[in-house]
Amino acid sequence: MMVLSDLKYAIRLLSKSPGFTILTTIVMAAGIGLSIYLFSFFNTMVFKEMPFEDGDSLVQLSSSQNGVRNAGPINLHDYQEIRTNLKGLSEFGAYSVSNLNVSGRDGARRYSAVAAEPNIFQLTRTKPILGREFTKAENQAGAERVVVIGYDMWQNQFGGDPKIIDQTLRISGISHRIIGVMPAGYVFPTNTELWTPLREDATQLTRGNSGDVIGLAHIQDGVSMEELNRQLALVMQRIEQKYPKTNNGIGAYISTIPLAGDADTVAVIYSVHIIAILILILASVNVGNLLLSRAVERGKETAIRVALGAPRSRLISQMLWESIIICTVGGIVGLLVLAWGLEATQAITKTFFVDKPPFWWQFGIDAFTIKLFFIFVVGTILITGLLPAWKNSGADFNAVLRDGTRGALSKKSGRLNRFLIISQIFVSLTVLIAATVMMVGNFKATRADYGAKTENILTAAVLLTESKYDTPEKQAQFAKALQSRLENTVGIGDVMIASALPGSYTSTPALALEGREYTEDKGYPRANYIVVTPGSLAKLGVELKKGRYFNTSDEGLGKGSVIVTDSFVARHFPNESPIGKRIRTVELDGDQPNWLTIVGVVEHTIQGASYEESGKAPSVFRPFAQSPRTQMTVAMEMKLDSDKVIRTLRKTLESIDPELPAFRVEAYAESFTRHTGPMLFITSVFLLFGIAAIVLATSGIYGVMSNTINQRTQEIGVKRALGAVEQRITKEFLMSGVKQLLWGGIPGLLAGCGMGFAMSSMLGVGNADLLLVSLSLVLIIGGTVLMATYLPTKRALQMEPSQALRHE
Amino acid sequence: MSDVLIKLEKVKKIFYTEEVETHALSNITFTINKGEYISISGPSGCGKSTLLSLLGLLDTSTEGKYTLAGHEVSNISKKERARIRNEEIGFIFQSFNLISDLDVEENVELPLTYRSNLDKNQRKEMVKKALEKVDMAHRGKHFPSQLSGGQQQRVAVARAIAGNPSILLADEPTGNLDTKNAEAVMDLLDKLHAEGATICMVTHDPRSASRAERRIDVLDGLVVADKKMNIAEKVVAMETSNEAKAVEAEGALS
Repeated sequence: MMVLSDLKYAIRLLSKSPGFTILTTIVMAAGIGLSIYLFSFFNTMVFKEMPFEDGDSLVQLSSSQNGVRNAGPINLHDYQEIRTNLKGLSEFGAYSVSNLNVSGRDGARRYSAVAAEPNIFQLTRTKPILGREFTKAENQAGAERVVVIGYDMWQNQFGGDPKIIDQTLRISGISHRIIGVMPAGYVFPTNTELWTPLREDATQLTRGNSGDVIGLAHIQDGVSMEELNRQLALVMQRIEQKYPKTNNGIGAYISTIPLAGDADTVAVIYSVHIIAILILILASVNVGNLLLSRAVERGKETAIRVALGAPRSRLISQMLWESIIICTVGGIVGLLVLAWGLEATQAITKTFFVDKPPFWWQFGIDAFTIKLFFIFVVGTILITGLLPAWKNSGADFNAVLRDGTRGALSKKSGRLNRFLIISQIFVSLTVLIAATVMMVGNFKATRADYGAKTENILTAAVLLTESKYDTPEKQAQFAKALQSRLENTVGIGDVMIASALPGSYTSTPALALEGREYTEDKGYPRANYIVVTPGSLAKLGVELKKGRYFNTSDEGLGKGSVIVTDSFVARHFPNESPIGKRIRTVELDGDQPNWLTIVGVVEHTIQGASYEESGKAPSVFRPFAQSPRTQMTVAMEMKLDSDKVIRTLRKTLESIDPELPAFRVEAYAESFTRHTGPMLFITSVFLLFGIAAIVLATSGIYGVMSNTINQRTQEIGVKRALGAVEQRITKEFLMSGVKQLLWGGIPGLLAGCGMGFAMSSMLGVGNADLLLVSLSLVLIIGGTVLMATYLPTKRALQMEPSQALRHE
Repeated sequence: MSDVLIKLEKVKKIFYTEEVETHALSNITFTINKGEYISISGPSGCGKSTLLSLLGLLDTSTEGKYTLAGHEVSNISKKERARIRNEEIGFIFQSFNLISDLDVEENVELPLTYRSNLDKNQRKEMVKKALEKVDMAHRGKHFPSQLSGGQQQRVAVARAIAGNPSILLADEPTGNLDTKNAEAVMDLLDKLHAEGATICMVTHDPRSASRAERRIDVLDGLVVADKKMNIAEKVVAMETSNEAKAVEAEGALS
């Protein structure tokens, strides 16, 4: 009953001040909504358990290069060694990702597939809905070709035929017997639509010939990831010592599957979490401060209640109701906006991928979000309500009633206000520096020059079937034929063929420079390795800096010419002309060194994303005809609309080989959007956070300062009565503002710079940027503090001293 | 005429709000001579505190002429008013108005820090003297919150006299004190007066008012009486006050 009357009273009080109620509710909605959004976003992306039975113990074994965890595959031999030596993991399994061409009634289509060990489904405790899994025997080289297909393929290509088992599917030119159909929605491990046996046995292959795989396993109870990674580091060290030539700088690590690709950005993710918490605290402190000033205003009312016998607990609970209402309503509003935000995120993140985003990226209000919502709402109620309630209920009610102690701000109030201001400054500066560093980093990433023109170019990937194109000559011949036929087609201008266009990831083999010594085969430099058809670099707009582009004289398997980027020259030939110098690839050569002569230098091209290691690495280009590939990207200058060009491409491909589909067909500019899209998205989110942080910080600091000075109006009156001139009081207050700025600002600057520094190398933000960002924000916060001191002081000084002395 | 310290001529104070015009003081005219001890009395809301604010240059009059120590101060700049408050006037407030963050010595030193002609040693010396006068020198390092109400008011008196002002203006100086402490503070004011201080005190306590040698009664913004208090009147005032307190105490007991 009492609770109900207190609630009614709190509602009445809040409805009497609609401006205050709306403002505080919006602040809490923004604080709670934004912070939960960030937590929920990253939880879905990297921290959520896999949606399978025992999904919490499922881990991935990936490779790292020179300490950079890039989620790469590991050599099959290394995998076997790890499997034998690592304690604490069970149910080892491995797979390699492959794109497969499947021929059907309506032509060939490319499917996302994995070649996996037989326990791939057992790892996720999932069984096929039709048929069976692979057997060990089917996993051996030479065994019958079998395939397990996904539910969607079964439905779309076979109309859900219940007699699908034992039917034949022609994959990359080879017939496979369908032995199983997986349940609907099952796409483990990488949006997979087809599963074939791995068919690779390390014992039968040399290190150089064996492929790479991604390892999977279940972590045993009581074993920590850190312990496993320590063991793994030792194992990899041993392997490196044993095989320095192939394993120089190669490491491995274990992580959860979602975190595997973001293992190195986890510091950034945790920084973002800290920012989210700080923004929530900022919002709470702001609302708490507003409630505190209301509580101070209502001091007399509270004193009357105490005089009438109200127990302190009752007073606290009564005052807490306002916080409960504001935080709960604000939280619910925040949650509703959050639901919309997560829905939009789902739609936006889909555009980051050519195919589909990782299957666990299901953004929305889930159990984690709801749990967090309750924690945050309770936390904000405590922060915003408990302090004002406790402070006001513990005041000297007798003195308040007597109206005798009005005067200078009490020592305790003064301390509390100073604490609030200093914490506001600290939190604001930390949040703003970290958020701005992220924004700057992301902005830079979106503005990077990839080294190629992208306008009006259509790209498509083509994957040759290894059975049909089993020799380099056939592969080179195909590329030449495709380029020449496309270039002679109406509607298509320049045609470029490359293993990877600027903006795409590629392999980074170890290189040796002629005349340089590499002790014990260690210290080989690496570079992005790309093969291109003659003319492609020039047509793509990759500027020639020195020497020449490739021409027909470079064609031929026995020839060895190479073009390097200026970043390669700066790194390896800083004071000499690189033309005529020779380099070789270490891993690809085998025992026969194949020296490649540098014939030209082009501008730096970014392979992958600009902020990643691959984007910063120099590149070397080889003529396609000297080092042909089964997978290639075709880039076509469009002279007609894209639909017509796509049709032309498909027809041309069909005319050369009806079993070859073109996939990943898109405008070249779109592929860049995929790199910059996530960054733009994160930049927008951080822009929102930055704006929220600036608004919360400046209004918060102004609010607290103004409230503090307002409470010190009598002190100003006293000082003026004692003869202080206005300038003196203004200076005194400004100095006290500066002192608080230093108390909060220096730790804030250090914390912000610390977080900024941790993120800067990851985001490509230099120290100069960090310094500029920090100084600018110090100026903004410093300016806010000074304005927040000056304006209320000026207002108080506009009163006559007698008025200021009577001010309450 | 050379003994006149303060001269008010037809001083008016009107407060304006959006709808109401309040005449707080009307045509106030009186003088205060050097060395006088004056009490200004009247019921609540009669304008006595407003009058004290005008006298202390804490507020400006709407009309009229105010002369302090031979200089007209009705229309002087804010800066000049601040200087006069600092050098010529000492304030004692009902609620002490000590700065809680400053210790006793710092509070007393505060008005002296606003003077540019005093060095630190001079200020320290003046603070020491003032605190000795009010018998609070031993509490120099204490903060206001560590003192009783009476002690706080004695510190406030020390702050008021530290700069050797021409006049002490006291606004209900015993209003927040118990009888014993009130007596002690009034004794202190008597002592200062005996040493030559000019005191103008606003009070509605007849007992406190009886300490003064001249009494100005204010009612509805007008001076209704201005007379010297003889011994007999002082005794009557004190007895009236004592009886009133006794009745009050009896009422409280029953």
